[in-house]
Order: sequence, then C-alpha cells, then structure tokens
Amino acid sequence: MELNRLSLGTLRDMLDKKEISSVELTMLYIKRIKETDGKINSYITVCEEEALEQAREAQKLIDAGCAGSLTGIPVNIKDNICTRNIRTTCASKMLEDFIPPYDATVIRRLKAHGAVILGKTNMDEFAMGNSSQTSYFGGVKNPYDLNRVPGGSSGGAAASVAANLAPAALASDTGGSIRQPASFCGVTGLKPTYGAVSRYGLIAFASSLDQIGPIAKSAEDCGIVLDIIAGYDPDDPTTHKEVCCNSCGKIGMQLRDIKIGIPVEFFGEGISDDVKTAVSYAVKEYEKMGCSVQEVSLPSFKYAIAAYYLISSAEASSNLARYDGIRFGYRSKNGETYEDLIKNTRAEGFGDEVKRRILLGTYALSSGYYDEYYKKAVYARGMIREDYNEIFKTCDCIITPTAPTTAYMIGEQEINPVKMYLADICTVTVNIAGLPSISTTCGYDRNGMPVGMSIIGRPFDEATIIGVADAFEKVFGRQEVSL
Amino acid sequence: MRYIPVIGLEIHAELSTDSKVFCNCSSEFGGEQNTRCCPRCSGLPGTLPVLNKKAMEYAVKAGLALGCEINMHNSFDRKNYFYPDLPKAYQITQYLRPICVSGKVDIGGKIIRINRIHLEEDAGKLIHHDSDGLSLIDLNRCGIPLIEIVTEPDISSAEEAKAFVEAVSLNLKYAGVCDCRMEEGSLRVDVNISLMPEGATELGTRAEIKNLNSLKSIARAIEYEIYRQSELLDNGMNIIQETRRFDDNSGTTSSLRSKQEVHDYRYFPEPDIPAVIFTQDDIENIRSNLPKMPQERFEEYTVVFGLPEDDARLLISDKALSDFYNGAVSVYPNYKGIANLILVELLHLLNKSGLSMDSLLIPPQDIAKLVRLTDEGKVSRNAAKDILRIMFEKGGSPDAIARENGLLMETDTGAVITVIKEVLAHNQKAVDEYRSGKEKVFGFLMGQVSKKMGKGSNPKLIREELEKALKN
Repeated sequence: MELNRLSLGTLRDMLDKKEISSVELTMLYIKRIKETDGKINSYITVCEEEALEQAREAQKLIDAGCAGSLTGIPVNIKDNICTRNIRTTCASKMLEDFIPPYDATVIRRLKAHGAVILGKTNMDEFAMGNSSQTSYFGGVKNPYDLNRVPGGSSGGAAASVAANLAPAALASDTGGSIRQPASFCGVTGLKPTYGAVSRYGLIAFASSLDQIGPIAKSAEDCGIVLDIIAGYDPDDPTTHKEVCCNSCGKIGMQLRDIKIGIPVEFFGEGISDDVKTAVSYAVKEYEKMGCSVQEVSLPSFKYAIAAYYLISSAEASSNLARYDGIRFGYRSKNGETYEDLIKNTRAEGFGDEVKRRILLGTYALSSGYYDEYYKKAVYARGMIREDYNEIFKTCDCIITPTAPTTAYMIGEQEINPVKMYLADICTVTVNIAGLPSISTTCGYDRNGMPVGMSIIGRPFDEATIIGVADAFEKVFGRQEVSL
Repeated sequence: MRYIPVIGLEIHAELSTDSKVFCNCSSEFGGEQNTRCCPRCSGLPGTLPVLNKKAMEYAVKAGLALGCEINMHNSFDRKNYFYPDLPKAYQITQYLRPICVSGKVDIGGKIIRINRIHLEEDAGKLIHHDSDGLSLIDLNRCGIPLIEIVTEPDISSAEEAKAFVEAVSLNLKYAGVCDCRMEEGSLRVDVNISLMPEGATELGTRAEIKNLNSLKSIARAIEYEIYRQSELLDNGMNIIQETRRFDDNSGTTSSLRSKQEVHDYRYFPEPDIPAVIFTQDDIENIRSNLPKMPQERFEEYTVVFGLPEDDARLLISDKALSDFYNGAVSVYPNYKGIANLILVELLHLLNKSGLSMDSLLIPPQDIAKLVRLTDEGKVSRNAAKDILRIMFEKGGSPDAIARENGLLMETDTGAVITVIKEVLAHNQKAVDEYRSGKEKVFGFLMGQVSKKMGKGSNPKLIREELEKALKN
C-alpha cells in the first residue's frame, strides 16, 4: 500500500471499514521507517513493541465501534516531549539516557484516544536552532533534497511526515520550530495560541514562548490532531479555559467575508525573490476566492529578533540550569568538588549552540545588564503584541512568508550564528505575541524546494486560520516526495 | 566607646499546609528520605509548578496576623543559583511583588516594623557522611511552602530579638499557618547586625548570621556579634560585610563568605505561574476566618476581665489554652475563678501527666459548671480539686462526679442543726468553755460536726448554724 497522500480522514475510513487493521497500518509505517529513515535520520527512537501493543489495544476500540478520529492511527513525537518509559533525549548528550517516569499531558491525551506512538523524532539540541543539524544523534536531511537541511528545530517531525514515515507528528514551536521546518519540507505545521495546548511534559526551552502543535500533510489533519491535544490542563496553569475545540469547524466557510492583512515589513530586504513570488501568488489566489486583502504594518518588527533571542535565551539559561548531572542525565567522570562536577558535566553534555544561548541568557539577566537587555526585550514584547492587536481590529488573519528562504544546503549557515538567528525573523513575532499561526506550502523555488506561507490568526481562533489554509490547499497542487 | 546595636531579622517559617507549594506531595515533617517527592518537586525535565492556593491563603493569614498590608496583585520570580539541594537550580520566590508589606509587631511597648513577607519554596536537605565522604540529598523538604518575614532594622538587643521571634511565632500559631517548631526547622532565623557609635547618625557595616534555629542561639549569636564588632571598632578596625555562621558549641560566629563572593541571583519573572489577583472580598474572607490575635486577647483579659497581667500572659501563651478559657467564661463569666482553676489546677494536672491541651477530655463548659458549683456552695474548694482530677483522668460531668463520690455539700439546714444538736449534747464541757469566753473551742466543735457530716460537709453552713446554736 502506498502511504503517501493518505490523509487522517482516509486512514480513519480504512480502519473503520476494516480495510486495514491498526496493527497492519503500524507495521507498514515501521517497515518504511526501517527501510527509509537511514537516508534522512528523522527518528531518534522507534518504539516498535510499544506501538504494536498500542495498535492492538486501539483495534479493540475500533472493533467495539468506539473509535475517535485518531484511534489506531500512528503518529510520532518530537524528542523533547516526555514519554513514560521511553527515553526522551532533546537530541542532547545530556539526556541521552533519560527515561521519564511520566507522560506529558499531550501523550496522555493521545494514548487515551487510542493513537499509536511510532517513535521519537530528531531535532536541534534542546530545540535551539532552525536546521536540525545540532542534534547529538546526527543531523536530519530534507527529503526533497538530501543535501539540504529540513529546517528546525522540529526537522525530524517535518521530514518524517514529508517522507511518509508518519501521517502526523507532534512537535514544539518556540520561535518557528514547527512552521519553518514544515515550510522547508513542504508539509503543514500549526503553532497553536500560547495556552491552547498543555506544556506539561514538554522539556522547557523558553517557557513563555514554547507551545506544542501538530505537523501533518494538511491544515485539516493539523486541526484533527489539535482537537485531541488542546484544552485546559490543571497540570499547566498557563493553559486557558476558552480553548477552541472544533478546529476544523470553519473548513469550507465563505471566504468572501475574510479580510487578510499583508504586513509590509515581512516582504522587505532579506526575503528571497522565490519566496516573495510564491507567497504573492497565494495571496492572489485568496483574492480570487473573494477575500479582501489589505496592506498592514507591524512597526515593532525591527525589535523582534533581539527581543526574541533575549527573552528565549534568558528563560533557557534558567530552564537548562537543572542539568547538573546530580539527579539524572549525563554526569561527567571528572570533578572532585560539586562545582567542578557540574562545570564539567555541562561543558561535556551540552553542544555549542546550547552553550551559546545559555551564555547569552545568563548575560542578559545579570545584575547591571538586566535593565538594558531583558527588561527592554519585555518592553518590545508589549509593543509587538500591541501592533498585532491593532492589525486584528481590521483583519481576520495575516499572511507572511514562513521563512526568508527555502531550505539551504547543509553546512551553509550554521557557521554564522547571527545570520542563522536572523533567519527566524518571519516566525518569532507570533511566539512573542502568543498568537496561532499555520504554515502551508504555497509554491516551489527554482530548485524544486517548497516555499511556505504562514497564516496568523487571533488568539484561540485556530479555526479561522485552518479554514483559510485549507481553502488554498484545496486549489494548490502539492508535490509529493519520492524517497 | 558605647555602641547601639542595629538589628534586623529574616524569619523563614514553613507553612503548615497539607501539601507542598507547587505539587501535591505531603509537606509533613520527616518521613523516609525521598519518599515525599514527585517529578515536579524533584525538578524533572518538562514538569511545571502548580500553585497551591492554600499556601497563598496561609501567607495572607500570616500577613494579617502580623499587621501587614496585603498586595492584591501577586506574581512570582525565579532566583537562580546552583546548589545540590535545589533541583531546578532556581527557587521560585516573590522578588518584585511580595504578598505582604508594612507590618507591625508590638513587643511589649516597642513596635518592630516588618518590611515584607514573601512566599517561596523550601529547598531539600543535604546529608553529609563524613565517614566515606558521601553527600546525599533528601528532597522531602523540597517545595514545602515557606514565608520569609523581613523586618526593618528596629531591634536593638538580644532580648528584643527574642521577644520579637516569640511574638511572631505566637501570632503565626494563632493564625494556624505555622507550627513554629524551631527544633524541626519549621522556623529559622537570619540576623543582620551592625553597631552604631552612640550619637552617630550613620549605620555601621553589617554582618549576617545565617540559619539560627533556637531562641537561645539567636540571643547568643547577637551577644557574641555585639562583642566581636565592638572589639574590632574599639581597636580601630573595620567590620567586613559578610555572611557568618554561628557555632552552638563555642558560642562564636565565623565567616562563611564575604560580599565579594555574593551571588548574582539573576531574578526574573517566573513564566510558568500566571499572576494571582486578590479582590478585597478574598482578603476580607480570609480575615474573617482568623481567630482573635493574642495581643487582643491580652487586652480583653486584663482590661475587661480584670485578670492580673501574669495570668493573662500565661493564658494567651497557648492558643488552645486561651480558646479553652474563652469557652468556659462564655458559659459562666466568673473570669477570675475560672482562670485560677485552669492556671493552677488544670495546668498542674497537664504538667504532671505530660499531656497537651489537644488530648484534654474536659470540654470547657464543664470547667464552667465546676466553678459554678463551687460558687454556689455546692462543693468545697478542696472537693473541686478532686472533681477536676477525676474529670481529667476519666472524663464525665462535674455534677455527676460530685454526686457519685459524695462530694456534694449538705445544703439542708435542718440536717446540719440535727447534727449540731447531737454534737453539743455530747460535748457539754466544750460548750461551757466556749460560753465562758474560751472561743478557741469553736474550732474543735466545728471539726466534730464536719467529721460527722462526712465528705459532704459544708463549712460555711456549719459555721453559721454552730454560731447560732452556741449563742442560744
């Protein structure tokens, strides 16, 4: 059976009509992972036994006629989301052997629903990066061109969905880590509103920005997964009670009433021509469908990268301080005193990019620098939020490129951290403002690499951006990978 | 030269909530090592703090009990530092917005101001094995809610410091938010102390003495520091701003670290805990659930009830005792009689048996009944003591005990007269002696009558009737 082009809806039908069993479906994916993943390195851990056991349990639910939308369907999980008894590494030497004693809330919800967990996907170490090349377990390759990066940090999740090694994936997004790899790998990725999905069990990078969301083949599939994982969670006090629970409810809506804002700042210097062309093409398609399009402005755009890297690194420097080798994780063999032991553990256990962010964040929070850096970044955050509020007074959604370029060659950008940080310019404002945003493919560049556009919505209005993205996906000819 | 000590205290008090401040683990003292911890309080990757609302409420109660203003908008911050007993490598605390500010505590005429009270989490405990050089970590204490009470530098002596800690402990116990057992570490004190030459206006350089865990060591540490610092100043030397440790054995303090080595805690707002906003109603609700504080009760006892100050002080020294007294006087308002019975007889029984007020079998109403029986002349004072002892040992109401043990006094005048007649008839010689002016014999005759009447003899009644009979 060909696993490509199988939407979650199609899989549901096939399972419900008993055309295939959950165990058979799971085995198909596992077989394909074993055969193909060597080329792209999208999985860190494959949970064959556990997945087959879950599939058998799920089949009972299906046979009893109690199947939900994902019951019996395999998905994979980014390796920074805790899975009970399955190692969760954050793609770091520091957590190479860390086996969580508990499930993240999203995992509990997937399991309760009868979804099957295929394995844990590769990523940038501690989700810091946009290339998925900083993994301790080796870099991930883009299934469209094995010489190119898949984007990051959720490169494993996006590449695995693009390469049909899972029909859907759970990933996390702190500054674009779902949307940018979805864009680079030609799939759809949704970063939900901050507070829509529980972060309990997501190994923190930057607590005020992190959010778990789905990567799949379509906006509709993202919505199906979102409905299962979203919602208030007493284990995460930052989740909201007013979370949207019918994310696909606006699919097929009348687009004539939709007002789209195009912020000029996102189409300026540094955005490649191929990207601009593809996104403009999509905007024209929306006009054809009857949407009204207006130019808008986000004046605080210029502060976004600085504010993002200060806030995220500051929080990371604190969140990652617990990796001292004392209670869990990697411990250096060298060090007579407590101070020496933790210095050596952290020096040996973290990769360069993680260390860079910890240093940056520690500096930004240090006495004498706090006001100059962290406090100003928080101030800029308020301005960015305000600018978005202003735009949403007249627009229902905003369309921007997801990344300034398409997937670049492996080794091309990592050597220049500042250049790499600037490449996050199209995605970070959404995390800073806590808004939902979905990236879907809107074209291909001259090398055949996918171009992604992002549709940004009002807080907790995932339904609108899913509906808008779906309308384009229905008229757009998405190209499958041959791998 | 003469110096004036300038002292400020930081008191860490563990709140007696059932569970920890950011997870559901039990916050009870002790327990087998590392059995009262979970992924959250062990700081496992991916876990998040969930604020225990009870801890917030207790912190507000503490603030109200110490005369503070309550901040309506509350938020938390992270204090970052590496230490093996701190699993997240940061402590969640309140840096920018402490829950309570501007308190006042009266220590017998002098007001000590409280600068702030903030809520935070306790750290774990390190256990050092000197024999094999191992250091082990016990996380049972990790995440227990803690309030830090910071005073203004209003204290000028070891006695005042002790009085302040005692007053704070008493109020916290009354508010029901901390058991204040210094020996178990549920109340720990840091002392900031500097000396100012008499007549000077500028404060001296201060030293901080960390982690004092008894009233005695607080006083001794302060006295030693006053001595140490005045010696240095007298010899023209400077005081170094530093953190010091008090050694109980030698009674001296020694340097832990100087200011140069002071941590940069890199405080920043805790992103995992949303702000907690109180309304005026929330605060009033909490206030209305607070009992009357000891100072207020002291006023009432001395001014309204007319008790001697010492008695009032003794009554308020234990909330259970004061509650018990209030329960009794609310039924029968013989304030002094009930206070005497409780403070003399009941406390004596408690001390002798080693029991506490909690295990007392006697309801306060029964104490009231017993005092009323005495006042009405139905039992003698001596019999009352016996009745109280039986109530204390076995329980039961005072009337029933008096009746069953024949301790009710004779109130039937006719019966007394009959006995008197009998006694006088048998002791004609004594009667004659009395009538001839030898009044001493009265005692003898009283004794004879009482003896005949047995346990229920009523001395007052006998005296009256005997006097009458002898006059005739």
